[in-house]
Order: sequence, then C-alpha cells, then structure tokens
Amino acid sequence: MSDLLYKKYKKYYLMLILPALFLYVFSLVGPLIFGTIPSSFYDWNIIEGSRNFVGFNNYIRIFEDKNFINSIIFTTKLALFTIIGTNILAFAIALMINEKLFAKSVSRAMFFIPNIISGIMVSFVWTFIFTGAIPSVAKHLGMESIANISWFGTPNMSALAVIIVSIWQSTGFLMMLYIAGLQTIPDDVIEASKLDGCTGFKKIFYIQVPLLMPTITINLFVSIASAFKAFDIPLALTAGGPAKSTQTVALNIYNDAFGAFRSGYASAKSVILFLIVALITVIQLRITRKREVEA
Amino acid sequence: MHKMSSSTKNILAGIGVLMLGCIFMMPVFLIFMNAFKPNKDILTNFVAFPKSLYLNNFTEAMDTMNFWVSFKNTVIVTISTVLLSTFTSFICAFGISHLRGRISKFFYLFFVMGQIIPFHTVMIAISVLAKKAHMNNTLWGLVVLNSGFFSSFGIMTFVGFLRGVPKELEEAATLDGCGLWRTMMQVVFPLVRPTTVTVGVLFFLWSWNDFLLPSILVSEKELRTITVNLYMFKTATNAQWNLLIAGLTLSMLPIIAIYIVAQKYITSGLTAGAVKY
Repeated sequence: MSDLLYKKYKKYYLMLILPALFLYVFSLVGPLIFGTIPSSFYDWNIIEGSRNFVGFNNYIRIFEDKNFINSIIFTTKLALFTIIGTNILAFAIALMINEKLFAKSVSRAMFFIPNIISGIMVSFVWTFIFTGAIPSVAKHLGMESIANISWFGTPNMSALAVIIVSIWQSTGFLMMLYIAGLQTIPDDVIEASKLDGCTGFKKIFYIQVPLLMPTITINLFVSIASAFKAFDIPLALTAGGPAKSTQTVALNIYNDAFGAFRSGYASAKSVILFLIVALITVIQLRITRKREVEA
Repeated sequence: MHKMSSSTKNILAGIGVLMLGCIFMMPVFLIFMNAFKPNKDILTNFVAFPKSLYLNNFTEAMDTMNFWVSFKNTVIVTISTVLLSTFTSFICAFGISHLRGRISKFFYLFFVMGQIIPFHTVMIAISVLAKKAHMNNTLWGLVVLNSGFFSSFGIMTFVGFLRGVPKELEEAATLDGCGLWRTMMQVVFPLVRPTTVTVGVLFFLWSWNDFLLPSILVSEKELRTITVNLYMFKTATNAQWNLLIAGLTLSMLPIIAIYIVAQKYITSGLTAGAVKY
C-alpha cells in the first residue's frame, strides 16, 4: 500500500489494537507484573490482611517445602505417563480411522467426545466407574481382588486413576491431530513404499512416523504444557489425596492460596510454575524443530 | 482362500472400530444409563440395564441444582466471551499486520508472550483485582477476564492468517472508495472465515468448560456456571448417587448436543487451531 495511505491510516491501526491490548494487560500481564511478582516477595495473608516484605524468603522456603517438591515429582510422573499413553493410543486409533471405514465419522466422534467435556465432569464420570462399575463387574465375574481395589485409598492407585482419566480425556484431541497429519502424507509416497515391499509395521515406522514429525512436535508440546497445568482432574477425582500424594503443582498452589490463604508464598510458587512452563516450551521447540522431516 | 471384496472388508473393519469406540465411550454411556435408575438399583448393580424409565432423578436434580439458571449463565458468559474476544482479537490482529517495522513486531511478540503464562500464575492476583474492580459475583467480570486470557491465542492465530491475505485486494477496495472500517469488515473479514471458526470454536469450548476462574470469581448461587454448579452439587449430595448421576448427565448433555450439531466446525476448528500453534 502506498506510503501516503499508510501515514493516514497508521493512527487507526494503533486504535484497532487498543481494545484487545486493554483486555490483555488488564487480565494477564498486569496481574502478573503488578500482582504475582511483587506479592511473591511478601509474607502476605489475604484473610488476616498482614503484608510484610520478606525479600527472597518465600523462594528459599520453596526448596524446603516437601509438599511442593512432591507435587513437582507427581506432576512430572503424570506428564510422562500421560504423554506416552496418550500419544501411543491416539496414534493407534488414528491409524485405524485413517483407513476407508464404514461409519467412520461416528467412531471418530466416540473417541473425540470425552475431549470436549469439562475435566470436572469427566472426573465425576470416572469416580462412578471406579467405585461403581468396576467393582460391580468384577463381583459378577467372581474376581474379588479386583472388586476390592481401593482406587482412592492408596497413593499408587490414586495416581493410576488420575493417569487413566487424563489419558482418556486427551486421547481424542491428539487423535484428531494425528488423523490430520496422516492425511497430509501424499498417496504416491505410500504407493511407492508398497511397491518396495514396505507394508504393515514397516510402513508405520519407516514412512508414517518420520513424516509425521511435525505433528508429533505439536502433540508433545500440547501434552507437556497441559500436564503442567493439570488441575481439574486431580481436584475433582482425588482432591490431591490420599495424603497429598496426587497433588499437581497447580493444585498445590491453589490449596495454598485459597485453602491456607498464604497468598505471598503461593505467589512465589506460581512464579516458579511460570518459569517451568516457559522453560519446557523453549526446550521443546528447540529440540523438535531440528528433527522435523519435510514431506 | 477367497479374497474379501473391499466393501465387505470396510464394513467389517468399520464395525470393529465402532465397537472399540463404544467401549471407549462406555463410561459416559453407563452414566446415562444409571441416570434412569432409582438409587437402590444403582447400588445393587451398576452395570445392569434400567428396569423402567425412572425420570424422578432428573426432575429432582433439576430442581435442587437449579439447572436452568446455571445453563442460562453459561450461555450468556460463553456467547459474550466468544463475540467480544473474537472481535477484539481480529481487529487487533488487523492493526498489527498492517503496521510496519518495529512497532508491529513489538506488539506481536508482546501478545504471543501471553501463551506461556499459565492461568495459575495470576489467579491470586486476579482474585484481588476482581474484588477491587467489583467484578466478583458478576457475569461480565468473567467475560472481560476470559477475553483477556484468550486474546493472546486469537491474535497470534489471526495475524498468521492475515499475513497471507493479498494486499492488492485491499488496495482495490480502497480505490473503489471503501474506508478502512469497511475494507476490514466487508473485504478482509469474510476472507479469514476459517480462522474465525477456529478461534470461535476454541473460545467457546474454553469458556463453556472453564471451572477455575468462575469458581474463584463467583460465590453467589444464582450466578454459577454449569461446571461450578455441578461441583458444588456433588459436595451437597454425596450419598445420593441417583441425584448426582442425573445432575452429571444433565450437565454433559448440552455440550455433547452442541458437538453433534456443530461437529464439522468443531473438528476442523480444533485441528487447524493446534496446527497453528
């Protein structure tokens, strides 16, 4: 466009930015810079109203806080198992659905619907499956040991429950991404590989997986980022229990902030969460960008 | 050995995959099924079919959880959020993609940065801010804050697409006497329709399913959204499985119905959204 017109319109372009800029600064950047970060240097209880400057004390306390360290360990475990489980399951389902099939769109919807239901509802659904359906079926089949499993009584079973539900909810989304990715592989590549005797598992691991690297990059990024923000499912399924064993980082911060009202300390923790998420994102993007193969 | 015709093979394989899909969705089906049973039937055998259609659970759950009020609140918040955040994201992205040089780059990066800030990092500050700005226990507060959180993603996505729109088109429109506003809304906006669908669908789902923000902001019963309402309902009805299961079914139905009606848009919107990450 001509420079004359640009000069004339420039102030309007700036004005178009303003509404979103206001909303964005008001609800995200402002609270982070003027709320969370300064608060993290105060010993601050929102209920008592006390607010004293303590410097880096909150940050030093974090490293001695067993509950918080355990929540980081649990979140990492949850992330690892969920990422591996979801990606394998989603890829397998996508391979099946990618073929020409009868009633394909209905099947696809079945796998996808859990993903659009809120985490709270999904967790309640599974609460009944763990405490109602599984014992009921197991009793009928005479498998007393399975019927008597206490899903929310021990740390390991609770962790397993959170992992199962997380995988169940996020599989559908990654499946969609894998289906979209598989469709970008040109038919002639598949045909040519067939002529060279590359079928079945060979086709999957030598042709489809390498060509899907861009999709896998996105999926890992999506899965890791969402694992570190995991909140709804552990809250509604186990509430972090038993004995805080299934507390994710986000849930730990929430409990400190809105349960114990240690607002300054919780702010310091949430700065740490922010740094973790930012670091993971940067590392992930650097590593996977290099490995992508152009189709 | 006879070779199966490819159509029979498609049908058989299709039925097989469909059965796997049904197994995957079994938890949801079981909940729907139990919503029609009286409490003692649920407790004796969770997986048995209902003996008759027992609808009392629904009527009682609807009354006690005040379902229609929460449904109305969710609809108001979601629709307003989608409209406000999609519109402001689009015009902002239009501005950024038309500005030149450093200032354009600065605003773009400034907005994209929001993608790495988790909500949990600002939730304490938000709860303080909401009180100060008298936004707690208001639906418009949810709309404004949601729109602020979503704008980063919206702007990033729109800018990516707007860069590909040929400038000649806009120049032609200007020569024909179109002002800036008309060029933007009547020439460019229709061109980015697929992106608008993506952004709109994502904003819809995020807003509809949100739990944490409304639970922090809203304590008044009359202003609860569906998800928060169900969460509160659970604590209130712990022992009465029939009520909770009926409430859960009611709460899941709207979003599933919306998915079935708008499946095409939701699927394409979500996939396109993630690919643009």
